Amino acid sequence: MPQYRVKYVFLALCCALLFSNCVNLQHVTAFSTSAIESVATFETLSPSFYKTCLSDCQNKHITTLNIHQTDCDCTQNQEADRITELMYHGLQGYFNALTNISDNQLTNYQTEGLTNAITSGNFGSIQVNEAEAKSYSNIITLIGRAFTDRYRRNKIKTYISNANQPVQDLLHFLDLNLAGNLKGKLEVQKSSIKNYYFDLVRDTELSTYERTKFAEDYFLRIQEIERQQRELEEYSKILNSIAEGHSKLYAEVEQLHNDDLKVALAKYGSQLKMHSTALIKR
Amino acid sequence: MRNLNAEEVKQLADNFLQMANALGDYRYNNIDSLTEEEDLTIKSMHNQQLTYTTELYTKSAVLVLEDVQDSLNKIDTITKESQELYKKLTNVQTILDRASSIINLASAILALDLKGVTRNIQELVS
Repeated sequence: MPQYRVKYVFLALCCALLFSNCVNLQHVTAFSTSAIESVATFETLSPSFYKTCLSDCQNKHITTLNIHQTDCDCTQNQEADRITELMYHGLQGYFNALTNISDNQLTNYQTEGLTNAITSGNFGSIQVNEAEAKSYSNIITLIGRAFTDRYRRNKIKTYISNANQPVQDLLHFLDLNLAGNLKGKLEVQKSSIKNYYFDLVRDTELSTYERTKFAEDYFLRIQEIERQQRELEEYSKILNSIAEGHSKLYAEVEQLHNDDLKVALAKYGSQLKMHSTALIKR
Repeated sequence: MRNLNAEEVKQLADNFLQMANALGDYRYNNIDSLTEEEDLTIKSMHNQQLTYTTELYTKSAVLVLEDVQDSLNKIDTITKESQELYKKLTNVQTILDRASSIINLASAILALDLKGVTRNIQELVS
């Protein structure tokens, strides 16, 4: 009789699980992983507020032909870098956590160890039937998955919903600092450099060779600054793709297993890989 | 009157840059008709405008903190909660592994298997 009851409970649980929408969040994990990898290209960006400030300050000393007492006060720019990094780390932490909790393996509990321990153990007069031990073990796995998966899915929904606005804000302001303010500072640097080289290249008291060299220097420096600006533009595309992907995730949070969402997240994942590759190549 | 926010300061910096560039372009385009004194004055004013502009961009970048402080706090809380959830769900596997180790230990004790007892105690405390 107890054996029938075990089988009955086991069957009922299997049916309940079939109807309880098994949670497969692989697409969420994949998007989140792409977001982590692409947002991390921040570490490879060559310009920073501090470097730009230092370079501006050195340019001023060069203009006045001064190499003595050349201290540069760039504390505000160091603060700007610190704030920019805070936003980057905030986003990195969130997507790392989202990757961890959406990983299917997290609730795919292994009970073989327990089954083997029960069936191969020596418990004196107590005899453990191998088939029964496996059934109990399977029940533990199923109950575990049923409860933890549902609990996990509900928690993930809450996290994504609560995180969407702060994530959008952080992405927006990180973009403002990099593609807006830092790129703007580089634009100013280009104007300052032109202001400096313009007179040197026109100075008829210098030899043609010297004037040509100044013109060459000017174009090389402008080229390097524009390369750095393109890095920031590429990074901006990464931030925008993450923002769109997370918005989509938020919009479909009640239907996480929706095929449209899977396709959309895969598309954003490819975009992120493409932009990251383009950024690294620069 | 309220203070300017990061986006407004950035917008101001963009406008200042346009004005500074217009002044620079005026000097480059009219260099032959300017006196030496006029040229030096405009060049110096242009430089001064550019210095103010780059400082405005930095100011905007620093002001961003006021706009994102709340979002940073929220995302920090959500990240911590997610990490707690991850720990909880990982603990279920740990409990199952522990249960297996305890059963193995009990079995080794009953079988008077000293090597097995040592091995299983090591597994339990690891």
